[in-house]
Amino acid sequence: MKIRITEYLNVDLASEQWECHACGHELADARTNYKHGCLVAEVPIEEAHPGMTGAEFSFSPDPDYCRLIEFYCPGCGTTIENEYLPPGHPITNDIELDITALKARHVVVEGAAQ
Amino acid sequence: MKTPPTFRYGRDFEVVQRLRPEPMTEREQAAQHLIEGLEFEIFQHKAGMIALEGKETTMKLGASTAMRWGDVAFGIYTAQGDLAICATGIYHHAVLSQLPMKYIVKHWRDDQSVGLREGDSFFFNDPFYGGVHNADMGLAIPVFADGELICFIGAAVHTGECGGSEPGGMVNGARSRYDEGLLVPPIKIGEHFVLKEDILAMLSNMTRDPRTMILDIKARLAACRIAERRVNEIVSEKGADFYVGALRKVLKITGEAARKKVSRLNDGVYRQPRFLDTTGPEDALLKINLTVIKKGDKIKLCFTGSSPAIPDRPVNSYFQGIIGLAMVYFCGWFFHDLPANNGLLECLEWEFPEDTFVNAKGDMPVSYAPATQVAFAQGMFMCAARMVYSIDPKRAVGSWNSGFAVTPFGGFNQWGDPIADITPEINATGAGARPDMDGVDSAGAFFATMSDCGDIESMEADRPFVYLFRNFFNNSYGHGKFRGGSGVGFGMMVHGVPWVAIGGMGFGTRFPATLGIFGGRAAPTVFVQSVHGSNMGTMMAEGNLDLPCNMGELYGETSNETGTRVLGHVSSPPKPFLGGDTIYVPVSGGAGYGDVLDRDPEFVIADLRRNLVTSDAAERIYKIVYDKSTLRLDAAATEVARSTARDERKRTAKSFDDFNRSWQALRPKPEVLRYYGAYPDPAAVAGGAAL
Repeated sequence: MKIRITEYLNVDLASEQWECHACGHELADARTNYKHGCLVAEVPIEEAHPGMTGAEFSFSPDPDYCRLIEFYCPGCGTTIENEYLPPGHPITNDIELDITALKARHVVVEGAAQ
Repeated sequence: MKTPPTFRYGRDFEVVQRLRPEPMTEREQAAQHLIEGLEFEIFQHKAGMIALEGKETTMKLGASTAMRWGDVAFGIYTAQGDLAICATGIYHHAVLSQLPMKYIVKHWRDDQSVGLREGDSFFFNDPFYGGVHNADMGLAIPVFADGELICFIGAAVHTGECGGSEPGGMVNGARSRYDEGLLVPPIKIGEHFVLKEDILAMLSNMTRDPRTMILDIKARLAACRIAERRVNEIVSEKGADFYVGALRKVLKITGEAARKKVSRLNDGVYRQPRFLDTTGPEDALLKINLTVIKKGDKIKLCFTGSSPAIPDRPVNSYFQGIIGLAMVYFCGWFFHDLPANNGLLECLEWEFPEDTFVNAKGDMPVSYAPATQVAFAQGMFMCAARMVYSIDPKRAVGSWNSGFAVTPFGGFNQWGDPIADITPEINATGAGARPDMDGVDSAGAFFATMSDCGDIESMEADRPFVYLFRNFFNNSYGHGKFRGGSGVGFGMMVHGVPWVAIGGMGFGTRFPATLGIFGGRAAPTVFVQSVHGSNMGTMMAEGNLDLPCNMGELYGETSNETGTRVLGHVSSPPKPFLGGDTIYVPVSGGAGYGDVLDRDPEFVIADLRRNLVTSDAAERIYKIVYDKSTLRLDAAATEVARSTARDERKRTAKSFDDFNRSWQALRPKPEVLRYYGAYPDPAAVAGGAAL
């Protein structure tokens, strides 16, 4: 049974794997950070947010403060998530599901449906 | 004179902990059998209408920018001070006003020198009880039936000017709370249905804008008295016991329903670090380390790993204000189908570490707490999007814009009256993108959803400004499968006065404030442009039609405005602007949702037609191929371009471990981190660690 967790993430309860919702590619153990199974790239901040003024203050974040990292599905290249982080800041485990509880909930639901 | 044993002069640290519902009283319990199904439904509707009328009345009568344009919280509170009924989009003020009510019950009800009687009214603005900052002021009245206290009615609004060391209610240079102006704990301001003129004279004398101060107080009181009349009608018809029991039942059923809804969410831990780029007077990086733990029917908010408190900078926040802003999300979004009241807090727990800037103590200034609080609230949106998608995907929305590029000002207006306030564009931000549609353009303020940004003509009538433009800004939102709603940019020229002081309050100049969700991009960083010695007035007098008409035109090569052009952080102390000087402020858009390459190409074309996306973004971000003269989409070429872009991602990106190895070696410059605490985990220095 697959549970949709976000726009681009499923959890397969049987295999306990994160997978890409767009293409079904298996990403990582569902009890770990799904980002471990993604391809990762830093997008130059000036490309993502052009400055327009050519000055210190602009519409582009200051790279001393902020960088943009994107996490791609290795199967289809979809951007599953991104993070705006200060340089070197640890990448966030933003969804840490209680997989045991999730399985228990859906076993109960499936049982009730039967 | 009877003095409650817990009271001491100074602040009450116990009462501010009492955000959740008080235990049910014997009277409330005994009355529960009186509350029948249909009668209860009718009561809820009537009480809601009373609150709504109160909110509208407050708006119609008040003078401050925030009051006129709807940043009004109007509520009915139980006799113990719990919020039971409210009409507002600015939920935090309604929820946090419980604390002044509970203070009144605890300290003044049985105190012979103050007491609590029919016809009394109480004023308060100390942010220790109001939770946010001094500029937010409230008024409450007790309501009696047969000599027994049956409820409070209250109105809380950002009046703005509060007599701090800078005009406009938010003190950039505050070094302690004594720089921030009025610090009034709940104080009796009226008796026998009459306001006390000596108190009004004191309050007006201690602020720069006495007219607005007094009109706002009277507006709150008038609205409360009308609501009191309506409450008395219910009591006359149904009895006081029914009324008291029904107010309590609203809380009870709300709490039960909230816990039931929370229990449907997936158990887990959801995280979103939030970064601010200012302490107020200087640029520096600060971290709010938000961890949301959902288990069973409870949600716990934890902040371990947040940056240290800064004793002499105004960006600190009391913990109660953070919880207040949490209620903006819960009342307005997650529990949108439940009554908005204190019962919702039964499912919420929190943990604020000592010595962090989200848990201000002592004499720390808090003028800029709203920035810290909205930064947290946006993180709440992001954590919650990940939490709710499974059960209610349409509620998994991107953050609205922070709203915090505020423009405080002070001086004299063109009629010679003293003024000090903020401009209203804070209420014209773009909404966050949603799973099924773009964010609404210039939707409002996420923390004050019943407000709007008012008419320019009204602003110009009693403010010394001429607006040059106020319209959509096509570089203001986060890109994505669905884009954030567009914000606005506005330009103003000082007019009709020799000079006026103008400052800025906000964050998001070096680190974007409003981040995307599920791969959606952030809204761009923002900054303020001012032009001193501008020729704008001359050009207008000459009938020159070649003036900048939107934010985008300021930064091309088309603007013919001359003068000393200064760009700066949205957070800055008030500075003198002479007549004819101009200022340009972007009040930005909402966060993007989803991968930019998933955006329907026709949506991009539609945005090009409306000048809501630049051709650069259409081509480079969205990979759209189109005819620039006809704006006709080349669908096949677009598909090829997007496929190529996806392949390029796969070809150039690294595995997580490979990327992380080089990434972890990076560090911000030391001056960026001087207030941050230990990097990257501020908790590490204290021997702990973030969750």
